[in-house]
Amino acid sequence: MSRVVGWKEGTMETGLIALVMVLAIIPSFHLSAQDIERGKAVYEKWCTGCHGDTGAGDGDAAAYMLPRPRDFRRAVYQIRTTASGELPTDDDIRHVVDQGMPGTAMTGWKSRLTSGDRDAVIAYIKSFSRFFDGAPPQSVDFPSAPRISDDGIAEGARIYGELECFKCHGDRGRGDGTSAPTMSDDWDFPIRPTDLTRPWTFNGGAEVEDIYRAIRTGLDGTPMPSFSDVIDAEIITDEQLWRVAQYVHSLAPGRPRVREVIRAGRTARVPDDPTDSAWVEAEAFYVPLVGQIIVSPRWFTPAVDGIWVRALHDGERLALHIAWSDPSASPDPLWQEWIELLATTVTDADGALEPVQGPDRFTIQFPARLSDGMARPYFLGGDRRRPAYTWRWRSSPDQLEVGTSTGLGQFVAGAGAASDVAHQAVFADGQWQLQVTRTLIPRDTSAAPTFAEGVAIPIAFRAADGSSGETHVRGSVSAWYAIYLDAPISATVFVMPVVATLVTAGFGLLVVWRAQRREGTRRFLPEATCDIFSSSRCSDSWHAAAAKLAHRPATRMLVPLSSRSAAPRSPA
Amino acid sequence: MPKLREILGHPFWQAVALLVAAYLLFKWGIAVLPPLVGFPSAPVPQSVVLQYMLTALVGILIYVSYNEARWRRFKEPINATLVDANKRWLRATLLVLVPALVGFVAYDQSRPKVSAPLQLRSIHPAPPGQITVRGRTIRLAGLENPLRSRGTIEEHSREGRRVYYQNCLPCHGDLLDGKGHFAHGFSPTPLAFDDAGTIAQLTESFVFWRIAKGGPGLPREGAPWNSAMPAWEDFLTEDEIWSVIIFLYEQSGWEPRRWEVEERAEGAGHE
Ligand code: HEC
Ligand code: HEC
Ligand code: HEC
Repeated sequence: MSRVVGWKEGTMETGLIALVMVLAIIPSFHLSAQDIERGKAVYEKWCTGCHGDTGAGDGDAAAYMLPRPRDFRRAVYQIRTTASGELPTDDDIRHVVDQGMPGTAMTGWKSRLTSGDRDAVIAYIKSFSRFFDGAPPQSVDFPSAPRISDDGIAEGARIYGELECFKCHGDRGRGDGTSAPTMSDDWDFPIRPTDLTRPWTFNGGAEVEDIYRAIRTGLDGTPMPSFSDVIDAEIITDEQLWRVAQYVHSLAPGRPRVREVIRAGRTARVPDDPTDSAWVEAEAFYVPLVGQIIVSPRWFTPAVDGIWVRALHDGERLALHIAWSDPSASPDPLWQEWIELLATTVTDADGALEPVQGPDRFTIQFPARLSDGMARPYFLGGDRRRPAYTWRWRSSPDQLEVGTSTGLGQFVAGAGAASDVAHQAVFADGQWQLQVTRTLIPRDTSAAPTFAEGVAIPIAFRAADGSSGETHVRGSVSAWYAIYLDAPISATVFVMPVVATLVTAGFGLLVVWRAQRREGTRRFLPEATCDIFSSSRCSDSWHAAAAKLAHRPATRMLVPLSSRSAAPRSPA
Repeated sequence: MPKLREILGHPFWQAVALLVAAYLLFKWGIAVLPPLVGFPSAPVPQSVVLQYMLTALVGILIYVSYNEARWRRFKEPINATLVDANKRWLRATLLVLVPALVGFVAYDQSRPKVSAPLQLRSIHPAPPGQITVRGRTIRLAGLENPLRSRGTIEEHSREGRRVYYQNCLPCHGDLLDGKGHFAHGFSPTPLAFDDAGTIAQLTESFVFWRIAKGGPGLPREGAPWNSAMPAWEDFLTEDEIWSVIIFLYEQSGWEPRRWEVEERAEGAGHE
């Protein structure tokens, strides 16, 4: 059975499909002048800033992003249901314009432009190329996907090796294959093989169908090939290609939720190195990083765009484990070509990028003083008034400096004894794992902050990839987050509620008893208690005992309460 | 329905209804007001709600005890619950539920909670009277966009578009919705200019101050240490800043707030 894998969202109504088909049939030069005018107006208001007035992909912002905005004149499109080398269908373009391309600067326009405006602008961008004048392109017939199973995923992993995806994407999919440093797209701009463990950055979407489409038809204009020919050559079956897509899908979770507070769980003893199995069990917190575009020199094309943070403490020491994807342990001679290409591509807004590789870097900062109330150091490395207590790690030579910073790159070593802080870094399969450990109480409490349990302590991170020319200032940064060291639960947490409950209950009984005594309906506690808690009348023995206690005839007690108390209180 | 009318006329139930209404108003009602006049809103903190509720309670007690008869009627249902035999079930239930609730609240209060340190910030704090931009002192009150009286708007807007796309885009976004491709990395997130609560509420001079001085130029109540908004005087000329302001209003379709109105109202400052 075969079916066309259509687009999940968007043009589902038949009317729209009909409209799109009509548009696809009419060659662009047949579009009415009015349609062109409308498309042009939308384009010039919303798209020129990136794609340029003439569709050449050279808008004002073009040099400030990687990947660069698409040059429409060549009619090369990445996200297609059509065969490699062919034009996209209007539905394909519509999908990108609606949803945008995750992992790039290309946004989705569904919320901003009406459906008619989007159709018009699509017709307009097609008019930048004569290629669209011919017959409309045809979608490839995709077979339906086999059911996902463990065996299927294992099969997918095998085919991933057989098709040599690892040459570009790396053994563990982190974009660190041996060909990675040499890659450029059809416009000679540098391009990175996608890190397959970050599916939320896949340009065409992260669902199994999206991944299948990407490997089946390829991403034209980039080194990512189409694997249709291996099916045609009967090297693998179509089902096996689906297995590869399912395997890639299984490599990582969906887009992680970002939480403001990182919890450091309590453990008997913190691990000694970043590969310790205790770290696998520890809860991982995702922290997004973005380019430092706030102080000069700014950096618009960061290499590290997110990290995983884990934290544990044992009451004496706090250990942080940071993991991030990086295709190279910098500096690496293999990556010289890459940095040279990069230096001619990215903007030199605040000074040119020197094609010189430095070490990889990672920085962790806390407020130097935790006693400033709501106020914190400036999130970019602190300032003169409120410095940041900072740990700066570099890969080559492997070294961690402890100090105080008053701004990006403004660092003075020596906040307390550097020996307080231990670190270990491991690079493998396109990933850095860095563990940093410090005693909760520093040797010199006046020079470095104390990490107390049970409070949220502000923390922020920065990363730099030396092979992309990144430094302390040109790199990626995070906002302030907080780290919370789990405290042992104190006894008061359980004692307080019990005491509060008992006191309230006692007070309640007292109030009831007083009220009943005042009304003259009950003279002593046992009877009142009996009245409150027993469902029917109290047993005779109760009353007898009560009566004896009160030296009163039992009969008096048995007069129904309501008949006596109702009279004086009947509603006016 | 005489029964309902009886209940509504009874001071005890009136007091209960008033308390519930007051709670709903403090908890959610107040928060819906600012958006009606175009200001962003935030939930009312629990401690503030509690404070208002105490005030409301005192007011209600004064109302019910104001005259003797009403006070007696008010106490009736309470008294009945405490003593009547046919209410023994209600009584027993309350005697169990109320202490249990108090116990739970006590537990909830003393249990260790993992929450980020509170960071309250004022989005539009009062601007300073004057600022110094690249060595030139500029008085903000009454300041107009000088480009509006020179050249054409199209020209300035085109220049402003360049400035915007080369500098502001990664944060404020091509849709002016504050969702550029770097926006998710910052907290607070960049403001959305298509929102009725930002530039639509401001004079161009206020916007000029915010752009020239950025996050670091905010007063303490604006939590300057968290704001990723750069101080653009380090990168842009005065004219570039004024042109990007024109672009923001042209592209979003908003009109800047005018000085005349405010000056007549004798209020030189902004909110
Ligand atoms: C913020 C800059 C920016 C703006 C504004 C922008 N784009 Fe893009 N667009 C890009 C980038 C960057 C790419 C290329 C991404 C890549 O190569 O991975 C792209 C790619 C595309 C593609 C190619 C999709 C494919 O399958 O290869 C289309 C179509 C497109 N944009 C349409 C539009 C339209 C229509 C508008 C205006 C409504 C627009 N873009 C506005 C940045 C932008
Ligand atoms: C010659 C190098 C090369 C090979 C071989 C290769 N890829 Fe890619 N792949 C790339 C590049 C480069 C990109 C990034 C394209 C971009 O960013 O626009 C990419 C992107 C992808 C994406 C992301 C698609 C998207 O929507 O952004 C997936 C998934 C993928 N490849 C899977 C595979 C699989 C599976 C294989 C093996 C069957 C494979 N690739 C083989 C270079 C390669
Ligand atoms: C690094 C991200 C970033 C960049 C780049 C950036 N901004 Fe901002 N901007 C912010 C953030 C975050 C806020 C909200 C916090 C604040 O008020 O400081 C903000 C607030 C503003 C405000 C205040 C709006 C109001 O209602 O008070 C204006 C105006 C503004 N930005 C204009 C610009 C202009 C113009 C540019 C480009 C020249 C720009 N921004 C570039 C992050 C950025």
